[in-house]
Order: sequence, then structure tokens, then C-alpha cells
Amino acid sequence: MGRYVARRLLQGLLTLFLVMVLLHLLTTAAIQLNGNPALAFFGDRVPTAAQLQAVSERYGLGDACYNQLGNPCVGPFLDRLAAYATGDFGTDLRGREVTEIVAVAAPNTLRLFAVVGLTWLVVGMTLGSLAARYRGRAADHGIRAGSILVDAFPVFVMLLVYKFVVTVPMSTWARDTFGAESLPALLFRPSFSPDHPWATVLVPGVLLGLAGSAAFIRLVRAAQLENYNAEHVRTARSKGLGERHVTLFHIVRNSSIPVVTAIGFVFAEALAGAVVTEGLMNVYGMGGVLWSAVRDSDVSVVVGIVTLLAVVTVVVMIVVDLLYAALDPRIRFD
Amino acid sequence: MTDPTTSALVAREADASGPGGPARRDPSRSLWSEAFRTLRRRPSVVAASVVVLFFAVVALVPGLFTAKDPRRCDIGESRLTPQGLGAEHPLGTNVRGCDVWAQVIHGAQPSLLLAFVVVGASVLIGLVLGTLSGYYLGWVDALTSRLVEVFLVIPLLLAALLALSLFRNVDLGTGQLASILQPALVLTAFGWMGYTRYVRASVLEARNLDYVTAATVLGASDLRVMFRHVLPNAIGPVTALVPTAIAGVISTEAVLAFLGIGISPPAVSWGIMISEGSEWFTPGTRHLLVVPLSCLLATVLSFVVLGDSLRDALDPKLR
Amino acid sequence: MLALVATGCSSGGDGGGGGDQGGGDATVRLALTQDVDTLLPMDSNVGDNIAVLDVIYDGLVRYDPQTTEPYNYLAEDISTEDNVVWTIAIKEGTTFHNGEPVDAEAFARAWNYAAYGPNAMENNYFFERIEGYDAMQGDYEVSEDGEVTVNEEPSADTLSGLEVVDPTTLEVTLNGPFAGFDTMLGYTGFFPIAQACLDDIDACATQPIGNGPFQVEQWQQGQSLTATKFEGYTGEEAPNFDRIEWTEYSGSSSWPDFQAGILDTGTPPPAEWQQANADPDLSTRKVEVAGAALTYLGFPLYEGEPWTDVEFRKAISMAIDRQAVIDAVLPGQGVPADSWVVPERVPGGVAGTCQWCTFDPDAAKQALEAAGGWPEGETLTIHLGTDETQLEYFQAIGDQITLNLGIPYELDPSPDYFARRAARDFSGPFRANWFPDYPLNENYLGPVYGGGEPDEGNTSFGYYNEEFEQLIAEGDRAADLDAAVAKYAEAEKVLAEDFPTVPISFSQVTVFHSDRVSNVVLDPFSGSVKLRLLEVA
Repeated sequence: MGRYVARRLLQGLLTLFLVMVLLHLLTTAAIQLNGNPALAFFGDRVPTAAQLQAVSERYGLGDACYNQLGNPCVGPFLDRLAAYATGDFGTDLRGREVTEIVAVAAPNTLRLFAVVGLTWLVVGMTLGSLAARYRGRAADHGIRAGSILVDAFPVFVMLLVYKFVVTVPMSTWARDTFGAESLPALLFRPSFSPDHPWATVLVPGVLLGLAGSAAFIRLVRAAQLENYNAEHVRTARSKGLGERHVTLFHIVRNSSIPVVTAIGFVFAEALAGAVVTEGLMNVYGMGGVLWSAVRDSDVSVVVGIVTLLAVVTVVVMIVVDLLYAALDPRIRFD
Repeated sequence: MTDPTTSALVAREADASGPGGPARRDPSRSLWSEAFRTLRRRPSVVAASVVVLFFAVVALVPGLFTAKDPRRCDIGESRLTPQGLGAEHPLGTNVRGCDVWAQVIHGAQPSLLLAFVVVGASVLIGLVLGTLSGYYLGWVDALTSRLVEVFLVIPLLLAALLALSLFRNVDLGTGQLASILQPALVLTAFGWMGYTRYVRASVLEARNLDYVTAATVLGASDLRVMFRHVLPNAIGPVTALVPTAIAGVISTEAVLAFLGIGISPPAVSWGIMISEGSEWFTPGTRHLLVVPLSCLLATVLSFVVLGDSLRDALDPKLR
Repeated sequence: MLALVATGCSSGGDGGGGGDQGGGDATVRLALTQDVDTLLPMDSNVGDNIAVLDVIYDGLVRYDPQTTEPYNYLAEDISTEDNVVWTIAIKEGTTFHNGEPVDAEAFARAWNYAAYGPNAMENNYFFERIEGYDAMQGDYEVSEDGEVTVNEEPSADTLSGLEVVDPTTLEVTLNGPFAGFDTMLGYTGFFPIAQACLDDIDACATQPIGNGPFQVEQWQQGQSLTATKFEGYTGEEAPNFDRIEWTEYSGSSSWPDFQAGILDTGTPPPAEWQQANADPDLSTRKVEVAGAALTYLGFPLYEGEPWTDVEFRKAISMAIDRQAVIDAVLPGQGVPADSWVVPERVPGGVAGTCQWCTFDPDAAKQALEAAGGWPEGETLTIHLGTDETQLEYFQAIGDQITLNLGIPYELDPSPDYFARRAARDFSGPFRANWFPDYPLNENYLGPVYGGGEPDEGNTSFGYYNEEFEQLIAEGDRAADLDAAVAKYAEAEKVLAEDFPTVPISFSQVTVFHSDRVSNVVLDPFSGSVKLRLLEVA
């Protein structure tokens, strides 16, 4: 087990390094192809050369390698690695610390993820188990068809319709009935409010979670079906254990394995939903920050945030692998 | 919006954890013909196939269904409500006065084309890399695994953004293929990982089958063993993934269009129509969302039904 | 120190009809729709920063909301003999929020900082008319792809044309005569700054030390900004409320928030336009103002035929039914343009200077024929930025060109729009937008079409006309503003003959407001709510 953990950690570090290399190459090529991002800094105006130079210098884009297409810019890459090692994640094009931006944006996104994850788990486990239990019957078909439909439904459509059609009458009604600062009024607020971060993120989070839960439902269903016929379950039944006990302890427990795995992968995927949700509901979060940073070619922010995200994702992946071992008695490491 | 390959991959991981992985299958043709026979008897499969075929024909020869040019938009006829069959604008017009019927017919092509190109290319990459790494193992496998993990760590959407901003000043010319080339490249670049893992697992499994060992011992070349004996084994499960994956790309196209980084206007695609229509979901213009969304949902639903049934049919374990 | 009236006592109100929050709450809640990334006056050049800073800072002059005429505010008197040397007398006794005096030095230090090239301030270009500006920029070369090599550092770090005569007198010497100099002085870029601000410029960019009626309480960048009344304010124009809360919306619509009563003002997106106007209650709380920004279509004249053919440009112009496009795509947000200078809003602006700006599909077809037609199989590429409403707008314009001239088009939305325009990287017509910096017809003409080389033309369009250049220069040299305006108007006529660009629309701003606020006056320039005039019930 110890050796396995060590090996997995090393692999994780390697992956992380490769991600950074890939990102560096992508952003460098972007600068080389599109020209100095400092130009975008001036928007409508054509900057004077001195202004341009000043901005380029300020944000570490002065290195000549950024003008040579195909040059991998190893120097700046090593500089960045060294800076990261000392905890310096740089500043955005306006001189704001990346760590400070993350400190403000990350909690909002994490709240969103928490709601989304919980929705996935609850909806996925409940409906997936039900579908497996009543396999082939109306309930099963209904759940499957419903989940596919919701999955196919673009999440932005759901949120836009919610925002423009549902929130206004609902929040007005709630405010008139319960008062402006009451929970129902906040729940249906048309946009996020930093003063009430949990209440205002709940409904959008649940909607986003519903949109993504189809995959979970199918996963749980498949995993449980497999277990219904598995030998250990048959053994348990033949031992005379009640159906309830069998379902809970042998089927649900074992089918949580793929769910745990999926959380690892879907974490990265959820960010896509976060960009849309944060944009529409006006949440100041990682998705939105990243989105505008990419559009402004704000290299330090993009690389800094993605590196942080990659760290989290790799850690989650490793934890998932270890959980896997803990949950599935068949897996042993030696 | 969830990436179907991811969930398939996850499901696969779960399978692989079982002793000996999925039950051994016979790569002979009987599986296919039997699968076909089972599928033919299911009404849902028949219905889904009809829908898919219909939209495939629409995408291939839009001219059969409308004589109107979807790009001929008269602003004076802005936002007409659906007028019914036989009228000038059977499904009304959009904000700019374009005929919705003509648009939804012509919009099928880029959406479906993109989906087929992306899934086709991803499967191809997956087959090659998966077979190589599963067959040779060693450093080839280690390298592939790392590569897969690196690409998995970068979120698809972010990758799409980065890559599309990378290519943003690259002029690809005009025309249908050019307009989908960028999103196709990006979605492929970050969509091949699932297939690779999937194929690798199948290859690993087939590699140890007696007849493969026999072929190797008899001195068959690596290429021959791979193509004749190992690959056929992997094709089945991957085929089952394809319809679901196509459905996924069609949905993703809509999200990319909404974010303004996919197929770009004035080209017409379902994604673009939906993202425009969702902003006009107000009394009088609800059809602008309902029409393209229904087409997209019908298509996606059909592909998913096909995929699920195919998986059931090709996966003997679930019988 | 702060007279905070009890908050949160809201009651009643209805969504569709806007919020009725009841009385007693003297807070105004507004939206900021652009990314605001600095509150440094010298560096603020977009509508939202300007709107915020308008209550945080006081300038030398302010503009009349009806006529856009400047009147002295912090300035006691602004005088000149020859339009070259300007003497500005500053009112005594006003201070910054930190107690520093607002004197001639306070203006000089702000202007010098802005004019110094390496400080890279957005409003740097405003100071180019002041003597000594060039010496503060240094010497450099720009390669084709926009890369810069600095050959020489700037030789000066102050404007030689700026002299602090005594604490209340500032003397400004211009490069040459410019009769409209005093009309520029109320602009954000000319606000004074405190020495403490200069000492820690980064802090000052987020927590400004102003001299206006409000001070920034807290700015959570990307989320919200609050300002509270500065009790020591001695000026006349102070609002009757105590607190302003701005919520930042970058990209998402704030309209539902307005409907739900969370915001005091709102502008409906095009899809909600009809409903909002049909609402009998809401439509009584509507304020409209014609803005001053011109949206027009430029052509790459540097690329030769067919763009250089005036008949071709006429064909494009007359093929566009401007009113129908605006009504469908941007209702309430624009009026058709038939001149290059906004009529009536600024001195010298008159309607109808553009004779080919009316919709006439037949004449358009004839003009296209006269221009030799459009090559079969070619596609017209329209270049523009990535702003979504503009995308929709120019799609509708492209549709008109396709419908009425039979020319197929495609759009090329690019985040690098400005850089590419500067690099002359366009192969077709492009969307352009001019937001004037100060209310004078010259501002629509000289900076946009002037300054080119005879053989190369100016950077953006490749336009050059000697007569035009001369008329602008004569206007700059004119004895008084009226004479100058007349000369500039003549220059516009030259432009109208050459027809290098196609005016499409002037901006219009429509704002709905809640019934908590009254006296909603919109700035005829930026369209933002005049906060100093706003009243909270």
C-alpha cells in the first residue's frame, strides 16, 4: 500500500508538470501567433510605443522569445516555476495578485460545486437505485428517458429561462409575502449576491446539478445491475439475509465505487457548467475569472488558475484511487 | 453536457475492476448479427433509427425540404409567428427576419457534421493509441497513460477556449467544412482519451486469449496480430459508445455556440439557433427556442437510445 | 460621520412594475455593466469608471446635461488671448477627502503623471495638445506585428507647457492654437489627484482619494462597489441621498434584478423591450436620451478596389434600412445616423450632412452596377469586435447587404479588433464606433480622419484629404470657438463628398427607473444617470 501511494504521488507530480508544460506551450504559442496581449490592454486606443513597452515589461512579456514563433520560451517557463515554488503566482494585467483573485473567487465556485455535487449524489443515487431495482419496468424506462432528456437539454437554456421567466415573479411574490431579506426571496433572487452566498447559489446549483446528473443515474444503475447478479450478492441472499440488507450493504456500497471515480473526472467537467452558470447568474467565481482571462490573453491568470485547478484535480484523482481501494474489497495493492 | 466518453470510461473502469474484466466475448460475427436481430425487435430502437435517419437525410440534402435560403433575411419581416404548413414562413421568422424553417433544416448539417467528424477522429486516435499501448505495454503504455491523464486534467471547456483563442487569427477560409474545423479540432484534441483507455482495456484482455497467443507463437507479425485478432475485439464495445458520443458532441456544440466559441454566425447551426432563441423566450417569440431545441432533443435522445441499446446488445453481461 | 439611514425596511413592490421599496432608505442601487478595473481618473476611459468617478471627483468644468455646454465648477475663470496660452484660475478653499488642498499643483501632478508615456495611462492621449508632450514619450520603433523597441527613454517627466503660477493659477501652453481646449477640461482625465494618491498609486486605483461629494467605501473588485456621502463636501452639486451601491455585472443581464426591485435603474435587453414598454406602470418611468456615440462602417481604403470606389461605398450605405435594423435588433438603443457629427448635441453638429445615408435599395443597386458589381462567388467579410449585441447588429446589417445587393457576407469577430485595425489587417468593411471625448464637432473629425500621410492615408482607414486637413487646422487656429466650429463643419462637408465611411447610427439610451427615485436625468454624452441630480424619495 505504501509503495502504491508513493508511486501514485510521483505520477501525479509528473502529470502536474506535464500540464504546466502543455499550458506554457499553448499560451506561448498564442502570444507568438496573436501578438502582444498588452495591445488588448488598451482597447479602443492605439497605445503609444512607450505605453506598450511599459505594459509588456510590467507583466513579464518583454522576453524576446515571445516574438519568435516556435520558440518554446524555456527561460520564462523556468522563471515561472521558480516563482511558483516560492508561492508567487504573479499578478493579472491590472496588477492584482492572482492569489487574491483566487481567494475571492474560489469560495463562490466551491459553493456552487458543493451544491452541484450534492445534487448529483442525491439524484443519481436515488433515481439510479430505483431504476436498477425496477429494471425493465415503467419506472426504469421513465427515469432513463427523463435523465437523457435533461442531459440533452443545454444547461444555459435552463438557466436563461429560469432567470428571465421564473425568478422575477417568484422573488417578488416571496418578498411581498415573507419580506425582502427572507430566505425564499433570496432563493429566487435573479442574480447572485455576495452578502448571501449560500442562499443565492442554491437554485442555480441545483439546476446545474440536475443537468449533469443523468450520467450518474446511468452509472449507478449499471453498477447496481451488475451487482444484483454478482456472486457475492447471491451468496448474501443464499445466506438468508433480508432483501433490504442486501440492497443497502452489498449493492449500494459496491456501486458507490464508480460514483467515487466519476466525481474525480467530473470535477474537471463541472468547470464548464460553472463558466455558464457564473456568467448568467453573475457569480464572481473561478469559471468567470478564467473565461475573461483567456479572452484578454491574461497569461499569468490563466496559467496560475489552471495550475491550481490541476493540483486540485490531480489530488482528487489520487484520493479517488485510494478510496477505490478502501471501498472495493477485491482491490489490493502490493 | 457531460462528456459521454467520460461516463463510459468511468463505467469501464468499474467493469475493469471486476475479476478478469468484462466477460469474455467471442469476436465472431454471430454477436453482431444477433445484436442486430435483438435490436430490430425493439420499438424504441426502430423509432430512434427513423429519427436519426430522417435528420441524416436533412443534413445531407437540405434542399429536399426547403427551397429557401436560410441566409436571406428580410428585417422587415422580423419575428413573425409560425404560420403553419404551406404558408410563406411555416415556422415563422427570427429576429432578423430569417425563415426559421429554412434555418432549422440547414442548421442540421453543421451540427451533425461536427459530431461525426469529432467522434470519428476521436475513435480513430483512440483505436491507434489504445491498441499500441495495450499491445506493447512498457514505455509506450506509460507514455500514453500520462498523456491521457494530462489531457483529462485540463477541463474541456477551458481547453476549447485556450485553443480557439490560439487559432483565432488563423483564417481557414469560408465554407461548411472550414466553419466547423476549429471546434472539430479542439473537441477532438480533448475527446480522444476515453476511447484510448477503453480500447486499451479491451486489447489487454484480448492479448491473453489463447488464439492470440497461438497466432503470436506461430510467428504472425505484430501488425497482423493487432489487425486480425486484437482489434476486432475492441471494435464492439467502442461501437456501442459512438451514438452516445455523437449525442454529446451535438449538445456541446450548443454550449460552445452560446459561449461564442463554436461555429460562428452568420453560419447557421442548431446550437446558434438555440442560443439566440433562448434569449428570445418571451411571449410571441417562443418558437425561436422551441423549434431548434425540439430538433436537437429529438436527435440527441435518439442517439442515446441507440447507444444504450447497442451497448446492451453488444455487452453479453447485461443480458 | 456617516449619516446612515436605516436600511432594509423595504416593503411592498411588484416585480413587473419595478420595486417600490417604501421611503426612508436613502441608498441608490445601480448596476455597472463593464469590467471596471481601475478608479484612477487618469486611467479611466470607459463609461462605467467615468460614471463612478463623476461623484467621487470634481473637475474644473462640468457640462450642462441638456446642452452639453461646459460651465466652470472648480475653475473660477478660464481665459486665453490666442488659444495657445490658457490661464486657469482655480477656486480657493476646496480640499480632497484626506484634507489636502485642491490647488494648481493638484492638477499639474495629475496631468504630468498621465502624460508620461511609461506610466501607460489610458487618458495619455488627451495631453498631446499640451507643449512638451512629445518629450515625455521617448523614441521608439514599432514593427509590423506591433512589437516595440525603445531607442530612447523619455527626456522629460513633466509637461513643459504646464506652469503652476501660484496655488490658484495654472497656465497651460499648447503646441498650437486650439479654441476648444476649455471644453475638454471637465473630462475624467483632467481631474486633480492628491499627493497621497501619487505616493501610492496602486492603492489609489482601488481606494481613490477624491474631492467630490462621495467617497468610495468599499470596492470588492468584480462584485460590488459602495460609496458614501463625504460630509465635508462644500460644493453646490451634492445629491440628496447618502449611499450608492453598484453591483458589477460583467456580461450577464441586470434587467431581471431591476424587475425584482433589487436595482433602481435598468435597461431591458431587446427581447424584453416590447413587454417593458407595454407595461402601463413601467412605461411611465422611462427616460430616454439621444447619446453621442456614432457607429459606422469603415473600409480598408488601403486595400484598393473595390473599397476605394465611392460608388461601391454608396451602394453599401443605401442598401441598409437603418431604422428597421434598429427597431428589430436594438430597439431603444439607437437612432439612424445621416451625419458624421451628432446633430444638435455638440456645437457644429447638424443632421443630414450625409446624402447617401437614406435607405434606397434601387439606388443602391444602381450604384453597385456603376461600381462594376460584386465578383461572383466572393464573400464580403465584415470585421468587428466580440461584443454580442454588436454581433447581432452587424449580422442584421450584413443581411441587408445580402438581401438588397445580393452580396453574401461573413462576420469576423475578433478579440484583437483594435490591434488588427491598427495593423491594417482587414480585408473588408469593419465596424467602427466613435465615442467623443469632449463636446465639439472637431472631436468627431480630426482624431478620426486626420493626421494621415498623403500617400498612405491615416492608420485606420487609409484616408487622406488635404483640404480636410487644412480646414481642421484652420479651425484649430480660429480666433474663437464659433469660428472654429464653422471651419470644422466645413471639414465635415469635405468628408461627406469623399464618403470614406458609412454612418449607421447614433447611440440612444433608454433607462427605466424604480419609483423610489426621481429626477432621473441621463448624461447626453455617456447615457449614464446623472447621479448628482438624482433624487431618492
